Amino acid sequence: MSADQSSLALEASTRSRACELFAEAQHDIHRRTDRLFAGLMAFQWLMGIVFALWVSPLAWDGPVSRTHLHVWAAIIVGGIISLFPALLGLVRPGLPSTRYVIAVAQMLMGALLIHLTGGRIETHFHVFGSLAFLAFYRDWRVLIPATVVVALDHLLRGIFWPESVYGVVVASHWRWLEHAAWVLFEDVFLFVACRRSIAEMKYTAERTAALEREVCTRQEAENDARQARARNDAILDVALDCVILMDESGRIAQFNPAAELTFGHSAAEAVGTELAVWLLPADTRETLRGALAGYLTTGDMGILNRRLELTAIRKSGVAVPIEIAVAPISTDRAKMFAAYVRDITERTRIERELASYTQVLEDAHDTQRKDAERLAALVSQLRLTQQQAEKATRAKSEFLASMSHELRTPLNAIILYSELLQEVAEDEGHPSSIGDLQRIQSAGKHLLDLINGILDLSKIEAGKMLLSLETFQVETMINSLVDTVSPLVEKNRNTLTVRGGDTVPSMYGDVTKTRQILLNLLSNASKFTRDGTITVDVRRCVVDGIDSVEFSVTDTGVGMTLEQTQKVFDPFTQADVTTTRKYGGTGLGLAIVSRFCDLMGGSVWVDSRLGEGSRFVVRLPITITEVASESMAAAGVPTGE
Amino acid sequence: MLESVTPLHISSGRRAPKGSVWLWAVGVVWLVGAVAGLWVLWAYENKPGESASSPKRWPTETRLARSPGQPTLVLLAHPQCTCTRASLAELAEVLGRSRTPPKTYVLFLKPSQFFDGWEKTDLWRTASALPNATIVRDDDGLEAGRFGAMTSGQTLLYDADGTLLFSGGITGARGHAGDNAGRAALIALLDHKTPAHRATSVFGCSLFGRRTES
Repeated sequence: MSADQSSLALEASTRSRACELFAEAQHDIHRRTDRLFAGLMAFQWLMGIVFALWVSPLAWDGPVSRTHLHVWAAIIVGGIISLFPALLGLVRPGLPSTRYVIAVAQMLMGALLIHLTGGRIETHFHVFGSLAFLAFYRDWRVLIPATVVVALDHLLRGIFWPESVYGVVVASHWRWLEHAAWVLFEDVFLFVACRRSIAEMKYTAERTAALEREVCTRQEAENDARQARARNDAILDVALDCVILMDESGRIAQFNPAAELTFGHSAAEAVGTELAVWLLPADTRETLRGALAGYLTTGDMGILNRRLELTAIRKSGVAVPIEIAVAPISTDRAKMFAAYVRDITERTRIERELASYTQVLEDAHDTQRKDAERLAALVSQLRLTQQQAEKATRAKSEFLASMSHELRTPLNAIILYSELLQEVAEDEGHPSSIGDLQRIQSAGKHLLDLINGILDLSKIEAGKMLLSLETFQVETMINSLVDTVSPLVEKNRNTLTVRGGDTVPSMYGDVTKTRQILLNLLSNASKFTRDGTITVDVRRCVVDGIDSVEFSVTDTGVGMTLEQTQKVFDPFTQADVTTTRKYGGTGLGLAIVSRFCDLMGGSVWVDSRLGEGSRFVVRLPITITEVASESMAAAGVPTGE
Repeated sequence: MLESVTPLHISSGRRAPKGSVWLWAVGVVWLVGAVAGLWVLWAYENKPGESASSPKRWPTETRLARSPGQPTLVLLAHPQCTCTRASLAELAEVLGRSRTPPKTYVLFLKPSQFFDGWEKTDLWRTASALPNATIVRDDDGLEAGRFGAMTSGQTLLYDADGTLLFSGGITGARGHAGDNAGRAALIALLDHKTPAHRATSVFGCSLFGRRTES
């Protein structure tokens, strides 16, 4: 809340309080006046009876007397007029209805008294006195019913008994106005008096409200100060450091519990004594005294507001190392000083120990730094060695790729010409040379496969194997593959089954390499299975949030041991040395499968039991994304057509 | 200055409490009762007594003597009638204000059954203080009867020749002092003027215990 808003709220609060005070004062006046009138009513009633009994106790009928009607009127009519408003004044003081009833009753009582006194002119002053008394309410409205009663009294009696009112047998119909006018004449002054009185009451209420606010503000300020003092005392009481307040002369004014504990003196002993004399040894007393005096004289802070390490004296006479800071404090009344003292005995001991530990640590740190420097040199050397090794590997792969290419050209010529020579030998009738030519062709093809494998592997390791990404139909690719491997499958009397080929409609990847992967697996399965079954399962799956297709090739062939499965994806490796001899092959097929899977962001693994068959599983992303391609490129795997 | 103040009595709401209905009812009954009581009082005080049948000429049988060449005023009074106090006050006013004071008699009734001195009331003493007034005890109201008076306060004025000039009361109501037609008439006659009225109502106790109440 801003200052303006706060001021407005305070002013509104004061005005509201002033209204309350005014209302209370007004209500109090109404109540008191009601009670006064209640008493007056009873008094008038009594006086009326007394007067009637005194002046006209009896009425006479010749020699016969009886109680005068005035007596009964004083008792009964006076009672009727008086009791009700008196009761209201006592039971319901302060209410408007009460004072209006009282106003009417007072004027009726006036009429009664005037009649009881024989219409004496003096008694008519009761009317004017009553109006003045009604003005005690400071509510001009009560004058209205009172005036109306007087006017009606004169009006009615003027109509019915004009002589009793005006002294003439026949009076003007407007004569009553003359009488009422005199009452109104007084009303005017009473109205002004009431208004002025109300204005004064309002002014008084405003002043009182303002005074209350002032008193309240002061009380709040005093409470705040008291609370602040109590809070400060509490803080000093629980402070772990010694806090000692001094007056201008350096005499102790406050000595907190921590100081008592540190120095052994009670606060009662310490207060009033000079701190320098009481706690400090002789050689440092003048320093403190001079600092205080210098500040008071010139304002020079000197050693004030600084941390100093000194030696103090306990009550027992034992010296204690302390850290002390003396700060000047300006209060409304005087200048004081606060000394913050801390016993640093333990700290000093710890600092010494810490210094010795620090030295040990620094020595150890030097040793470690030297070891680290040696380690860094070794790492640098290793990194250089690794770079050289990688460079040699790339050179080897490039050499192999180049060599394989140079070898395939003459080999293709050998295979082609051996086929041509077989046809010529058949046509010219030299069947004895056909067998030799077939062996030449077979050896050439084997050598070509070997070279192709070496070429692919070398391309991969050389980072020159490119991916040709396109969308292709998985089922079509599988069907084409089945047609290709059928002769191999049937050669060892195996049965090939394909399941789930239609579960994955299409995928975006390198169809040639995918086909090569499956072809290699099916070739191996056909080769190592006789009179068994080979099953190709295709299914779609999501792994690590990547939509993938999983191909598995399961056979009932010879199977492998666990040790064999662990190195089956290494190049030039077969289950054992007898495998090549018995089943043939280059030992590069599964290595190429593994590399192709890596190349396309997939994976391959094998489950196998010796003598029971093997299950190779290949998992590839359905869509090789650009990100995957970029990742592969960053990993040294180029992509492209 | 404060601009407006909500009185405490209406701070709880504008609707009147349940008791106010009863209060209004009692207030109306109270007002009606008070006005009715006053009305009875007013009616009583303004009810005139029995009128006199006074002789037009000075009665010959009276023991009162007229003063030659001077009007004679006779006021018949009941010594115990408090209403007559106003009549005596008015008589004093008349005697004081008239330029030709009349020969004045104030007759106080003295029934025979009462002890001597019964008639010597404060009214007697008041009348005795009137200038040129003769106070006469009227045993058993013989003189009152001669003058035909029936009500205390009955005032008669005869001229020097013994002719009745005025007969009536000199108060505006029972026991009420102040301006009234009777007093005005007497003053006018004594000032040799023509009065507005020569007969007025008499307000006072019955002299002989007839139907007139006091």
